[in-house]
Amino acid sequence: MNRILIFIFLFFPINVFSTQIGDNFEYSGYLKTEVWVKNYNDESHLSLSSFKNTFDIGMEYKLSPSWTFFFHPRYFYDVAYDIRTDYNSNFDKNQEKMGNTQRTEWLRDFYLDYISDELDIRIGKQQVAWSQADGLPFILDRVMPFDLTYYWLPDFADIRIPLWMVKVEYSPWLNSTLQFLLIPDFEASRSGPAQSLFAFKAVDAWDTFKGINKSFGGTAEETIYRPPKQFKNSRVGIRWRSMIGNLEYTLNWLYGYSTSAYTYIDSFTPIFGSFGHYKVSRRHKLMHVMGFSFNRSFVEAGLFEGLMVKGEFAYVHNEPTYYGTTGSRKLTEQTDKYTWFIGFDKNLFTNWVLSMQFAQLITDDKTWDGYQVLSSYTYGVMEKVENIITCKISTDFMHERIKPELTVIYGDDNDGRAIFKTKFEVRDNLWFTLGYFHFWGPPYGSNGMFRNNDHILSEIKYTF
Amino acid sequence: MKGGGAVMRRLFLFLGILFFTSSVFAQELEYNKVYTPKEGMSAEDIMRIKYHNKYSLYAKDYQQTPIEVLYVDPSGFTRKRLAKRLRIIKAGQEGISYKDLVVVTYPTEVKGLAILTWTYLDPEKDQEVWLWLPSLKKVRKISASEDDDAFMGADFTVEEVSTRRLEDETYRLVGEKDFEGYKFEHTGQLKFKGIPCFVIECTPLKPHWYYSKRIVWIDKDTGGNIFEEYYDKKGRLFKTLFREWVWTDLGDRKYQSQISLECKDLRTGHRSVILMRKPIYDQGLSEYEFTVKALMRSRW
Repeated sequence: MNRILIFIFLFFPINVFSTQIGDNFEYSGYLKTEVWVKNYNDESHLSLSSFKNTFDIGMEYKLSPSWTFFFHPRYFYDVAYDIRTDYNSNFDKNQEKMGNTQRTEWLRDFYLDYISDELDIRIGKQQVAWSQADGLPFILDRVMPFDLTYYWLPDFADIRIPLWMVKVEYSPWLNSTLQFLLIPDFEASRSGPAQSLFAFKAVDAWDTFKGINKSFGGTAEETIYRPPKQFKNSRVGIRWRSMIGNLEYTLNWLYGYSTSAYTYIDSFTPIFGSFGHYKVSRRHKLMHVMGFSFNRSFVEAGLFEGLMVKGEFAYVHNEPTYYGTTGSRKLTEQTDKYTWFIGFDKNLFTNWVLSMQFAQLITDDKTWDGYQVLSSYTYGVMEKVENIITCKISTDFMHERIKPELTVIYGDDNDGRAIFKTKFEVRDNLWFTLGYFHFWGPPYGSNGMFRNNDHILSEIKYTF
Repeated sequence: MKGGGAVMRRLFLFLGILFFTSSVFAQELEYNKVYTPKEGMSAEDIMRIKYHNKYSLYAKDYQQTPIEVLYVDPSGFTRKRLAKRLRIIKAGQEGISYKDLVVVTYPTEVKGLAILTWTYLDPEKDQEVWLWLPSLKKVRKISASEDDDAFMGADFTVEEVSTRRLEDETYRLVGEKDFEGYKFEHTGQLKFKGIPCFVIECTPLKPHWYYSKRIVWIDKDTGGNIFEEYYDKKGRLFKTLFREWVWTDLGDRKYQSQISLECKDLRTGHRSVILMRKPIYDQGLSEYEFTVKALMRSRW
């Protein structure tokens, strides 16, 4: 409760300040309370899933017209872990991880900007997005690690884990830019811990297995090998962006350690069947990502007028991939993957916007030693080609005071999720959001694993 | 042969007169020049000047900071947006008329939202539009808005603010009258009472459009469209739009500038107001400010 009071205390004094101090210093931010409620109970989750309070502030100081410093911290505390006493032991033990996970990402931005016509340089902690796709992070959006504690449901800017890096944008001529990234920092992508709100099925399954294994006298020694934060381990990325007529395109290349860690069984001494003494490691592997993207608006009068078409392709070389049978990982081997999407946007009926995308994830080696490729989220068996369709419809009412949107992501095997969100502007600085997240699909589907995990979200945000 | 020569002379004379009369006004107006309407001009020529002024094609570039947009409902409840706007006039280079950058600075929830727009010279072409989305921290190319969509949720439509072209309507000069004055509700002041105006009836070429006609009052001094009345299919007045045009004195030259707008929806009682300081003209903005790279500089 003390922490709630701190938020209430912070709420008022900030209100009296202006958002701009002098001509060179500017700040703004928000206080937000979001409540996640599961729409029905099961063994491990009761109604209240999260009661999260967030304080966020961005501060910008212009040193000169060319040089600017930007600082953006964020802090949150999830009160649900304090006010609820009925979480089971599994859930409760994650309080330390889930209740106020800050680690390094409390610092969202901390950088120095240099800008000029031809050359922009940003040095410091920041985030970079390469993808043109909406809600499809597995194509070119691979520069930053992600925090999937709440799966892919929050805004991507909030779940990318910022990294210390140097970003250089050089324009040899107008509308063409060569971007160079040097990323000496390393953070791993992460998912929710076992038994947490949106823990992956694979994570839960391993946790359950360890418990059973232990009852048979087995052990599981886990070691995580992160690439040392040394300059020689820096990741590098290059993106060329240009236009041919009104066709805009990028060419992308990224090399370095994968932000995802992959599980390897280093040794196994059996006691009984698959139970025994395990030595397991989580490793990050060197990978190449090469790809391109494009977009084009049809501005000419005619059948396609007003249509915006976009697409993206990525070739991932040597990505560690799991092989096995449904629910059971046997091998981790490196293979190549191809991912692509094509999509379009169109305004319909004045202020209704329709956005559709079709994507494919293709694994070069569908099988390895007789085992089938598995989803890293669930250990469910995947096809060589996985298909995904997304559809987003958005509009507004009351002079953009109410902004509803519906996003549906639908994959093979009738696996998908639908997200309905509507935002209401109570006042300039007070916003209310209501959302519903619905999942369906088979138990081993990447969305189907959450099919009993529908949530209602309500959020109130005070900005300053 | 003699008779044939007379016919040819008459033909040349006819073509000469036709060329002379049409070339004075009906040709495209030159960029970077200031025009004002004159007595005897056709309705179309007056409107051509109006559009020239509306998109500030007389200038090389301009900047307006801040632009304040107010949404006022019938009860008086008001919401506010602040933005800054930069424009560079390309004068037809590479087929582009002008490029615009609008960056929202208030409220915080939408702060940082930036819209980059390229408008082609060819009136048949839609605009190219890019957005910087703070919630995704990335640039997104979007399809051009429908012309009859509300501009940023206001009572103005997109075409009223940024996309309507001369070629979208036909024009008829109704007459020349002194304006009765407009009570600017935002301040309560009576504006432009008694100033001489051209009154022009504009009929949209698009079938089933959101208005059947509009009556536009053009200030003879600035050439600005100070007042517009919008009529629906049944001929009922449903919306009024006031624009305050003034001269901005730059010392060696003067430009026409809009400094306030007020749009009232008579059906709902809702109104939208845009307030601007006098713009800064011809400061030598770089075209690099109007690129995707510049959008990516956004920090919010």
